[in-house]
Amino acid sequence: MKILVCLKQVPHKDARLEIGSDGTWIKEDGIKFEINDYDNYALEEALRLKDAGEAEVVVATIGPDRVTQSLRTALGMGADRAIHVWDDSLANADSLGIAKVLAAVAKEENFDVVFCGLMSDDSNYAMVGPMLAQLLDIPHVTAVVKTDFENGAVKVEKELEGGTLEVSQVPLPCLLAVQTGINEVRYASLKGIMQAKKKPLDKKALSDIGLDGAAVAPKLSIEKIYTPPKGEGANLLSGSADEIATQMVGKIKELGLL
Amino acid sequence: MIAWTEEQEAFKDVVRRFVDAEIVPNLEQLEHGDLPPYDTMRKLYDTFGMKEMMKARYERIIAKDSEGAGSERKATTGGGDMMAMQCILISEICRYCPGIVTALGVSTGLTAGAIIARGTRAQKEKWVLPLLTLEKIGAWAITEPGSGSDAFGSMRSTAKRDGDGGYILNGTKTFITNGPYADTIVFICKLDDGSTEPQDRKILSFVLDKDTPGLTRSKPLRKMGLHSSPTGELSLQDVHASADQLIGESEDAYGRSGAKETFGTERSGVVAMCLGIVDRCLELCVSYAKERVQFGKPIGEFQLIQLKLAKMEVARMNIQNLLFRLIELTNAGTGMSFAEASACKLYAAQATMEVTIEAVQLFGGNGYMAEYQVEQLCRDAKVIQIYAGTDELQITAIAKGLLRG
Repeated sequence: MKILVCLKQVPHKDARLEIGSDGTWIKEDGIKFEINDYDNYALEEALRLKDAGEAEVVVATIGPDRVTQSLRTALGMGADRAIHVWDDSLANADSLGIAKVLAAVAKEENFDVVFCGLMSDDSNYAMVGPMLAQLLDIPHVTAVVKTDFENGAVKVEKELEGGTLEVSQVPLPCLLAVQTGINEVRYASLKGIMQAKKKPLDKKALSDIGLDGAAVAPKLSIEKIYTPPKGEGANLLSGSADEIATQMVGKIKELGLL
Repeated sequence: MIAWTEEQEAFKDVVRRFVDAEIVPNLEQLEHGDLPPYDTMRKLYDTFGMKEMMKARYERIIAKDSEGAGSERKATTGGGDMMAMQCILISEICRYCPGIVTALGVSTGLTAGAIIARGTRAQKEKWVLPLLTLEKIGAWAITEPGSGSDAFGSMRSTAKRDGDGGYILNGTKTFITNGPYADTIVFICKLDDGSTEPQDRKILSFVLDKDTPGLTRSKPLRKMGLHSSPTGELSLQDVHASADQLIGESEDAYGRSGAKETFGTERSGVVAMCLGIVDRCLELCVSYAKERVQFGKPIGEFQLIQLKLAKMEVARMNIQNLLFRLIELTNAGTGMSFAEASACKLYAAQATMEVTIEAVQLFGGNGYMAEYQVEQLCRDAKVIQIYAGTDELQITAIAKGLLRG
């Protein structure tokens, strides 16, 4: 079985974020990056398939030079090889542009399963997975919380609202966009990391995968990002802990919540 | 080497994730509760596949012994990457818990190290593997109530031949890391043959199991810092040791140089500890300087605070560069001279103490409170100027290196 795992490198969860001077994205200088959390679970799910039998796990990412560190981590965790695509024209790529690049990568090889995270921690679109599946003309399931591979198909549980689960049977090849918490993500071992530098990491330009800047030009651009201004209406309670508790219960009752 | 490689950075990230998940939530219990550090150490080894690596290392040690090529220490070039990973592991843990590293280093570095360096093959087969894999915890007992820096000169612990090929051991050891919990103890003493003057007596070391009759151990001693590293006293009263417990099975095997080799290794490990402590202090201080507002602006805008931060960064860069040199020398197979290792340790220890005490100052009243981590790191840092050779002894070693010949 051949598996592609799509990873995104996002700002570290503890990074102190500041809005950049043009107001359309954060300042990326001097902050740490890490693998998008959803993608960690996707990678772990792929590595479990590898552990269970014969499978090759390929990880792919798009981004500037800094992303190779995340690829090394993925290789250290057990992925077999990595693909890194970058072109300056991808700096403002939208979900469709990213999906087109990943589709071009995926089309170069015949993957049985494409795993990706449900969405990215930094932009939360949750669009790349479904778009990529569409471009590859393969079925997909999002918010995957359980997979069970058998006889060329996969039984998938998908998370719905209110704790309901949807179960479906999907033929391979397919794309699964994974929810967090579905497995326990392994740590890369020391030996794994030391061996990671010997594993192949292919750097590709857009032209290597038959694309150019025009093909991935964004149709969607961010107008601005901002921190919501402090609003009115906050009611600050004061007094001892007991007094505050009493006032709070009163408020909750007043709002009809109790 | 001028920077950590991509793989090393990746390892740093993954160790940091482990520390966040396994050490930070238990820090209070490790530092102030009754939670010994050993299960955390074992989990660390399991998580990063270090048990397997240690088994492989043990097999190399034994294989080398079979070739008769001498000790592992005389080995090799190209160990820089492994040394770098070890430094990263140490420094990342020390960002929160230098005590764990101390307990770990004494068990695998000093105790197993002493047996690897001078033990016979049979002794290595018996004791080294369980120590390297943390199945057993080791203690290395040299310090006594009356002998600290003057370790051999003032040493009063003795071994007397029992006339039957074995020895009778007596003495009291103190400040022994892992002492209260160790399974395997390396006991260093002087051979009292009834005629040689104390200052000329041979130095012997024995490997003792924890249940040896006549060996008693104290509860953990209370100390200023490093609370997550249990420290205790060992007392030996007419303990019988057979000849196969004498390291090297020869009265000339260990000697003063055996212990000295151990000191050299220890000093390099301490520099990596310093990097972690300084790195964390700096991180905490930068963040606090941006957030803490006094006189209407963040305190980071005051030059006196900026001076503290700048000095901390200089210390961090210097210590990191010392480590890079250590890694390069290891890779080249030359290692550091004893004097150079001492110089590195002296600088790193003093710089770390200065950084941590300034970090407490920068935090003001908050810094004096246990709630803020700089308080713990400051208490922990002090021991680095004392153990593994005091600052004063490092100075002597550096000067001896300069004046020799």
